[in-house]
Amino acid sequence: MSVYFPQKKLPYLLVLPQLIITAIFFLWPAGQAVLQAFYREDAFGLSQQFVGLENFVDLFSDPLYYKSMLVTMVFSFSVAFLGIGVALWLAVMADRVIRGKMVYQTLLVWPYAVAPALAGVLWWILFDPNIGPIALFLDRIGLHWNHFLNGDQAMILVVISATWKQISYNFLFFLAGLQAIPRSLIEAAAIDGASSFRRFWDIVFPLLSPTTFFLLVVNLVYAFFDTFGVIDTTTQGGPDGSTNTLVYKVFKDGFIGLDSGGSAAQSIVLMAIVGLMTVIQFRFIERKVQY
Amino acid sequence: MIENRPWLKMFSHFILVFGVLIIALPVWVALVGSTQPEGSFNSGSVPLWFGDHGVQNWAHVLFAEAGSTLQIPVWHLLLNSLIMALGITIGKIAISIISAYAIVFFRFPFRGAIFWVIFMTLMLPVEVRIVPTYQVIANLNMLNSYSGLILPLIASATATFLFRQCFMSIPGELVEAARIDGAGPIRFFFDILLPMSRTNIAAMFVIMFIYGWNQYLWPLIITTDDTYYTLVMSIKSMLSVPDGDIQWNYVMVTTLLAMLPPVAVVVGMQKLFVKGLVDAEK
Amino acid sequence: MTDLVLKNIGKTYPNGYQAIPSIDLVIEEGEFIVLVGPSGCGKSTLLRMVAGLETITQGDLLIKGNRVNDKEPADRDIAMVFQNYALYPHMTVRANMEYGLKNRGVPKEERQAKVTDVANMLGLDELLDRRPGQLSGGQRQRVAMGRAMVRDPKVFLFDEPLSNLDAKLRVQMRVEIRQLQRKLATTTLYVTHDQVEAMTLADRLVVLNKGKAEQIGTPMELYDKPATTFVAEFIGSPSMNLFDAMMTEEGIVLSDKTRLPMSHAHRGSVIWGIRPEHLQQSDEANADFSLQVQAVESLGAETLIHGLLEDGSGQPKPMVIRLAGPHLPEIGSYMWLIAPAKHWHLFDAVTQQRL
Ligand SMILES: Nc1ncnc2c1ncn2[C@@H]1O[C@H](COP(=O)(O)OP(=O)(O)OP(=O)(O)O)[C@@H](O)[C@H]1O
Ligand SMILES: [Mg+2]
Repeated sequence: MSVYFPQKKLPYLLVLPQLIITAIFFLWPAGQAVLQAFYREDAFGLSQQFVGLENFVDLFSDPLYYKSMLVTMVFSFSVAFLGIGVALWLAVMADRVIRGKMVYQTLLVWPYAVAPALAGVLWWILFDPNIGPIALFLDRIGLHWNHFLNGDQAMILVVISATWKQISYNFLFFLAGLQAIPRSLIEAAAIDGASSFRRFWDIVFPLLSPTTFFLLVVNLVYAFFDTFGVIDTTTQGGPDGSTNTLVYKVFKDGFIGLDSGGSAAQSIVLMAIVGLMTVIQFRFIERKVQY
Repeated sequence: MIENRPWLKMFSHFILVFGVLIIALPVWVALVGSTQPEGSFNSGSVPLWFGDHGVQNWAHVLFAEAGSTLQIPVWHLLLNSLIMALGITIGKIAISIISAYAIVFFRFPFRGAIFWVIFMTLMLPVEVRIVPTYQVIANLNMLNSYSGLILPLIASATATFLFRQCFMSIPGELVEAARIDGAGPIRFFFDILLPMSRTNIAAMFVIMFIYGWNQYLWPLIITTDDTYYTLVMSIKSMLSVPDGDIQWNYVMVTTLLAMLPPVAVVVGMQKLFVKGLVDAEK
Repeated sequence: MTDLVLKNIGKTYPNGYQAIPSIDLVIEEGEFIVLVGPSGCGKSTLLRMVAGLETITQGDLLIKGNRVNDKEPADRDIAMVFQNYALYPHMTVRANMEYGLKNRGVPKEERQAKVTDVANMLGLDELLDRRPGQLSGGQRQRVAMGRAMVRDPKVFLFDEPLSNLDAKLRVQMRVEIRQLQRKLATTTLYVTHDQVEAMTLADRLVVLNKGKAEQIGTPMELYDKPATTFVAEFIGSPSMNLFDAMMTEEGIVLSDKTRLPMSHAHRGSVIWGIRPEHLQQSDEANADFSLQVQAVESLGAETLIHGLLEDGSGQPKPMVIRLAGPHLPEIGSYMWLIAPAKHWHLFDAVTQQRL
């Protein structure tokens, strides 16, 4: 577009509502977070004291913070890889069938609409040590399941819940990606004598790699920030911090621990991470636009 | 298709059906469980077939009270969720469509700076700045109010970006033709831009509605008065019962009710939704 | 009566690029003016300044005697047809044509009468309730013209309106546009880079080169008396043959061997030109020079022969001749040619201006 309306005042009027909302609900709190990160409040919230970088120093010398980082990494990458793998497999299968493609799509997309908090509840029911059919089945084959006590099992539960919801999203993108691959390419490979397995790894998968990379970033961002509900309804970060992701820790330290300085310092670190991921994501989108 | 080997197709169908069943499993169990009488789970696993308390349980939750510590009927929470979701959706679309319009179709001083300020909000999801945002809302006396539920979630760089991308693909000649036809910026917006973007707006509506409906953390921390509870967040108070004596059949009904509207929207407007989602990222 | 006057019009883009230094042009009522020139020469820029889509950075633009430099496009009483047609995709053909009238507050009855009229004239009656997406390229083009016509403007502006059509349709639409314009007698400014289109449509042509008007005149004036070498090469297909030469007392010296007797006051370096269609075959005795045949293009009704002018200088110069009917000279053979003096063109080698 290189054609513009000549009006000079109207555009300001048009961006004003968004700017006001942004200023009040984004910039102001973000500024507060930055300020608070350099202050410490006493236990009753009555007085504040400037402490410089001390909150950050405390944060990075706290073994619990490193544990939370590790938990976040394990959780996010598990969700991303599991979700991408399953979705890719299903999409390849769906791309192969001719009739019923849309039916499968409908039957697979709906979990996208389920709130993460509810996804947590749904899987909790299946894995509840007392009433969950899966947990009881596992018990019977000698695998004692109790995600309220066992940290690894808690992690598995939240990973499954979070992945379950994200499969639909990945599936849609892979299906669209597969359908965009020209048939003639695959036919050429078939004429060259490549087996269907080879064709997938030599042709289809490389052509899907931009989509896969994009989904990896999106899934990581999702696992980082949008899975608060999953954790809050099921494990609340426990047992013993084994599912206490960074985002959950910000909330817990700020609202339950009432450590606003520490929580704010964590917020700042998280903002830096989101910033980085957003930039990666947009770089990618811009590049994709070019071809 | 290159190959028409029947077993390959059978295999694909088999995997897909298996996938569909696994994905549907938790909902099936919840659905079955929601028809069981109270206390029927204490003795063992959730039954895998329907009980006879379905109508009773659903009516109770919907019209009497949600159960556990929640004494408010779910229809009220449904209404709150609807107000919040629609408020967020309409608000977001309205303010981001006009700001995208300004950014694409006008040149004005500080345009770049304004663009960046909006862009920055992408880096600040509520979850990350939760404590200070709560304090701001508290300072503004907006705890326990619909405006408190809606306004902070309205500004969205994502929607602005998507509309910007959509507008940038509109050929400049169309603007020129409109100017020659005597349409100023306002007329152009209503007569040409809006109708041309209606599929994009509809797709955005679906995505934003789901986003709004599924909000959890934000309503959880700014509402303490259960007349402002939303359906999704209310599940938390039904689950946090002191002695672990959860009324599972009511929880299941509430869970299903809470996921029903967005799922219906996605399934009903599947084509639009898929287009909106996949195109938006291209 | 003069309809459209461009007085010392110039355009410098905000980035400092001077697209048009200065142009003067007076257009009479009902005239069909074609702006022609190579890509990037500023044709669109000039047209868009007249339309009001581009600000005029220098000079005055008068429509019917009123200065309209600062008027909005909608207030200039012009209509424009775009290269990609710019039809509103969500509106029916009828709504597209009506939109400009509606914005001007024309009552409904009148609008519909106008649309029906114009649709009739363009053969669009059947298509009025379709959307642009349901039309062929040629039909869209017609709708774009219809949209301009219903407004009954003082000036029509066209920016390469036929370039998105296939060759056959282009010829057909070209004829149609000419007929319509004659019938409506609306002043028209038409941009193209296709010189055939330019020659067949124009009452007068403006040949633009790097933002400057090289020559303004009727198609035949430009063909017979091109003012500069640029115009000489641009108008006519294949292009005029141009050769560096010297003007001496004895006439034009193309090389040591080739001299063309002529008396002219000018002395020194010149450029001598002759159009391919003006060269004639002859016998050796009467010939002005000979041509070694390099390639032959047989088009049926005529034949183009590409060859090298052998003048013994050791630097053969390429030349094209155009002969009526079929000819099949052997590649490498020689042809004897006459260049009749009345078809010569002479240009100053330095200024490139016609002598
Ligand atoms: N907005 C602009 N800013 C700076 N320079 C411009 C702008 N628009 C056009 N130009 C330059 O002005 C010159 C003339 O452009 P114009 O579009 O008038 O060419 P044209 O004769 O219509 O060419 P074409 O036949 O390719 O359409 C070109 O060199 C172009 O690069
Ligand atoms: Mg042009």
